[in-house]
Amino acid sequence: MLNFLKKYFYVVFVFCFLGCSQSQKAEKISVEAFFKDASQSFFHISPNGDNLSFLQPSQNRLNIFVKSLVDSSVTQITKYSDRSIRSYFWASNTKLFYMLDRDSLNNYQSYIIDKDGSKPLLIKTPPKARIEVVDILKDDPNYILIALNDRVLEYFDVYKLNINTGEKELYIKNPGNIVEWISDKNGNINLALGSDGVIETIYFRKDRNQSFKAIISNNFKNNLKPLGFSKQKNRFYALSNINRDKMALVEFDCDLRKEVNVIYENKDADISDVIYSKDREKLAYLTYEIDKREIHFLDNQYKKIYQYLKSQIPNQEIKIIDKDQAEKHFILKSNTDTNPGAYYLYSLDDNKLTKLANISEDINPEQMCEMKSISFTSRDGLKIHGYLTVPKGSNGKNLPTVVLPHAGPSLRNIWGYNAEVQFLANRGYAVLQVNYRGSNGYGKVFQIAGYKQWGKNIQNDIADGVNWLIKEKISDPQKVGIYGYGFGGFSALNQVIANPKLYKCAASYSGYINLFTYLKGFPAYYRPYQQMLNEIIGDPERDIDYLKSASPVFQVQSIKTPLLIAYGSKDNRVNVNEINQFVKELRKRKISVDYILNENESNNFKNPSNKLAFYQKLSDFFEKNIPVEKF
Amino acid sequence: MSVKNNSYRKNYTLIIAFMVLISVFLVLALILGFSLTKKYVENEFSALKIDVLDKTIEPYNTFFQNKIPEISFYQGFLDSVSGGKYANNVIKLYPFVSKVLFYDAQIRNKSTNDGLTVGNLSIGVKKIYQFGKQIKQADKVVYSVNNSKTLSTTTKDEFNKIGLKLANFIERVDTTKTLTNDQIFKSFYSITNNRISYINIPRREDIKTYKDLMLKKPTLNPSFEQDIFSFELDANQLRIENTHPQLYQFVSVRPISFDPILEKPNLITADISLPGPFADYKIYFGSEIDFLNKEVIRRFLPIALAVFGVYLVLVFITFLIYRNLNINQKLYSLQYDFINNFTHEFKTPVSVIKIAGNNIKKAKELSDTERNRYGRILDEEADKLNDLMNKLLSFTQIENKTIKVNAKEINLEVFSLNIIDAFQLKYPDFDIELDIKEINTYATDPVLLSSIYHNLIENAYKYAKDGLKYLKLNIYQDKKMIIFSFQDTGIGIESKELDNIFKKFYRIQSRYNQQGSIGLGLAFCKELVNFMNGSIAVKSEPNIGSTFIVSLPYNN
Repeated sequence: MLNFLKKYFYVVFVFCFLGCSQSQKAEKISVEAFFKDASQSFFHISPNGDNLSFLQPSQNRLNIFVKSLVDSSVTQITKYSDRSIRSYFWASNTKLFYMLDRDSLNNYQSYIIDKDGSKPLLIKTPPKARIEVVDILKDDPNYILIALNDRVLEYFDVYKLNINTGEKELYIKNPGNIVEWISDKNGNINLALGSDGVIETIYFRKDRNQSFKAIISNNFKNNLKPLGFSKQKNRFYALSNINRDKMALVEFDCDLRKEVNVIYENKDADISDVIYSKDREKLAYLTYEIDKREIHFLDNQYKKIYQYLKSQIPNQEIKIIDKDQAEKHFILKSNTDTNPGAYYLYSLDDNKLTKLANISEDINPEQMCEMKSISFTSRDGLKIHGYLTVPKGSNGKNLPTVVLPHAGPSLRNIWGYNAEVQFLANRGYAVLQVNYRGSNGYGKVFQIAGYKQWGKNIQNDIADGVNWLIKEKISDPQKVGIYGYGFGGFSALNQVIANPKLYKCAASYSGYINLFTYLKGFPAYYRPYQQMLNEIIGDPERDIDYLKSASPVFQVQSIKTPLLIAYGSKDNRVNVNEINQFVKELRKRKISVDYILNENESNNFKNPSNKLAFYQKLSDFFEKNIPVEKF
Repeated sequence: MSVKNNSYRKNYTLIIAFMVLISVFLVLALILGFSLTKKYVENEFSALKIDVLDKTIEPYNTFFQNKIPEISFYQGFLDSVSGGKYANNVIKLYPFVSKVLFYDAQIRNKSTNDGLTVGNLSIGVKKIYQFGKQIKQADKVVYSVNNSKTLSTTTKDEFNKIGLKLANFIERVDTTKTLTNDQIFKSFYSITNNRISYINIPRREDIKTYKDLMLKKPTLNPSFEQDIFSFELDANQLRIENTHPQLYQFVSVRPISFDPILEKPNLITADISLPGPFADYKIYFGSEIDFLNKEVIRRFLPIALAVFGVYLVLVFITFLIYRNLNINQKLYSLQYDFINNFTHEFKTPVSVIKIAGNNIKKAKELSDTERNRYGRILDEEADKLNDLMNKLLSFTQIENKTIKVNAKEINLEVFSLNIIDAFQLKYPDFDIELDIKEINTYATDPVLLSSIYHNLIENAYKYAKDGLKYLKLNIYQDKKMIIFSFQDTGIGIESKELDNIFKKFYRIQSRYNQQGSIGLGLAFCKELVNFMNGSIAVKSEPNIGSTFIVSLPYNN
């Protein structure tokens, strides 16, 4: 008997050993490979097409590099080691405008610099004021148009900025409610978008000498988004869902004050992107997305270019991210669900396609997992779309699952490479993304259905998605976790509050825990939106009970599952004292909480080591609470 | 050098000394146990009051640590309805909160009449509400900007206190750093006797804005909502949880000055002050001496029982040792007797043989009568020796279970008569009667059975007075047993001896066994009967006679 047992033991032991060694072969790709900052990103091309620029980490901060397309030389033109470049823009063929990340006092600083890195010039602004570039002036390369809120934080006025001296002169004073200025091909600003919080108004003037007149107003639930003027006088192209559910591409007449022409509309989806050529005043193409991104061409030249590119970079999604003024040079970005993609430069004249940089060097598309679009019907009969990624090599049945609600909520998940999704799938989880009601792209009604439903129907949609996966036997009902960022984190917490039996654990990355704080957290220049927020999120005075029920900080007693909570203490939308209080109370109730608080981070961790540490922790957290059986 | 005494030792003094010693220990343990328990109870009386305090103050702690900070979660958005809801909830959950004042405050950079102004920053009151069990709905609004009533000093004071704290905080705060708990406690709480006031903690961004409002001359006239709550507390409404009712007879919340020594001098007391806003009060503990003594006894009882239990076990073991000693000693003396007797038994035939041998040796010639006499003597004595040896041998054999049963079918009548005839030949004055009922044959070992016959018949003869040597042998069947009853008219056995007669080497001291008895006969019989799976019993009356009843299993 003993001998038999011994024999058996050896057999089991050998099997275990084989099992272990086999699972090690199913390669776990490192956190770094997924979440390392791209080496080169934010490509721009100079107006004349002679120089390329990009951001690249140097001393752990993003700095601007300029590459000459004439002699291929690369120059690092900024050398910051304390803050990264937040955004930059070619102000002329020789000068760049850039803005730095906020400093410790939360102030922004903007500079003009020569393309060789000389003559950096600080544009003097009052603390807290922000500069937004409106346009460059074609006929006057010494000036650009900027919008600046130096007078009142809420109002952006337009200034003409001398890029050689840094002097600025007031060009158009904001009458009080303009939130966006739209320039034409000559740099004239005759079109503006105003908002008082609930009503959006388009203002128009025939020329500089006249004053702006309101031509159409609409509730914020409707949308009329001007793209730029068309060739016809006083007409502009716009995306509009006025009197229809889905965003359509239309032509709008300022004199008749109405839409005169529907250029394209799709009955199932909003038009998401339109490539408009300001100089030629022509439309190039538009895109919309239900399951995958679809392109509709409006210009034959672009169609030809695109078809050529498609043949050169086969089976990939291609996006134009920048072009020069003459539309001879294009910067492109490619990707698929399994391929993070690369940046390319295409020059039309010599029909040359050059790869600039891979977005993620260490990712082998062969090892990534396929993303499939799915749809299901919610408990109240709404069709909800989403995406499901199952780990490579699995049979697609009874899998441990992580639900990944997107941020927003008025954003959406799209088909394409997503590092978080692939990271979790690589660790053996099926990943579910749900475009719950309130997500954009599926029309006005669907988006409005999410208003004041942050804690209710939106959450039901997510839970319905999980139940659908369980019904389809894709998910192991004993191993479902949820993780999200921002609104996704808020959803993760709300999910475990409402469905404690459905989830084994939840992770929240900068997730809102208190909608009162969230409502208060909008910076001063968002104040016009206050009323709108009341309608979308809830009125902090009248809907106090709803807001309380939807805020995890008030629902501590309903949380029963282990949590991972990560925040940056400079996050404006949450209050660190509140989170501390929240975690304290949870721990008092013997709920296991892994709590990460990064002192010098905002909502989105910028420091690579913090970012990697967070994702490592996330992986460990799921491994502990919903362990993956080796297959 | 003293010679070690290797003989059998028996020392009852040792046992007695041991008994005395453990008894002394018992008493010592009881006394020590009692005094320790008493000390322990006294210590607990003063130590466990912290338990009662913790339990009693627990709701206050949750109130202070969870319920009050909840105000901040609302970010100043509370109004009369939602603020009232919160306040009423507090009053319901925490009975020690007797009244809640809610100041709906506003922070602006315009000077205000209703509030305080620091630098450019003004903290004004829009409305003040009060909530409480005694407060009617109509009296809810204490103050309103539009309808100014006179405010009580406390109401004003509380507002000013917390307003100044906030202003002070805004003036000094380093907005680049996260607030520490210490800062929060010092700046957003105001704790005085029987009152806690709290202002919601603004977000970091708001604090920066307030700072700007205070120190700079801003162009805009924004206003920010702040909620201030002031809770009036009543220590007497704290629900006391006497977690140790066996220690504390009376527990109550008393003013810090309370001391009952004048009224009740025999009370054992302790007290512990309440924290924070209840600092004017203490929890007072009192117990009468008898009450505590009862507790001491309650706790001491199990200890005493345990000690006593151990003591009893020791006593019992001592008793067992004593009994063993006794039995061993008896056995020792029995064996000693046996050897004595046995030697004696052997001595007689041996000396007779020796005398006969000597006589034969010395005689010049032997007459026929003499030769016959000596021959008979030698023969008889040799038989006696042989008999003795046989007895001893079979006895040891049976004891060691080395003999085997050789069962044979015997005719009981023939078998019995043969033995009876032999005895009557030996003792002509012995009258033996045989009565066999309904049984003819019996399967058994005839040697063993005859040994039993011989022993019992021999005894019947031996222990009978001359002229009364009579034995009646009855053989009959009783259920599954065959019974042999040997009834004599001998001297009988006293009832106190009945238990002993089957013991080895036991002999009743009597004149009938002065010679030729070693006390093995009955013990041997018993061994034999047991060996044959039967039993032997005796009934006897002194001077009338004895009946030995042998029951053996009867299998057809």
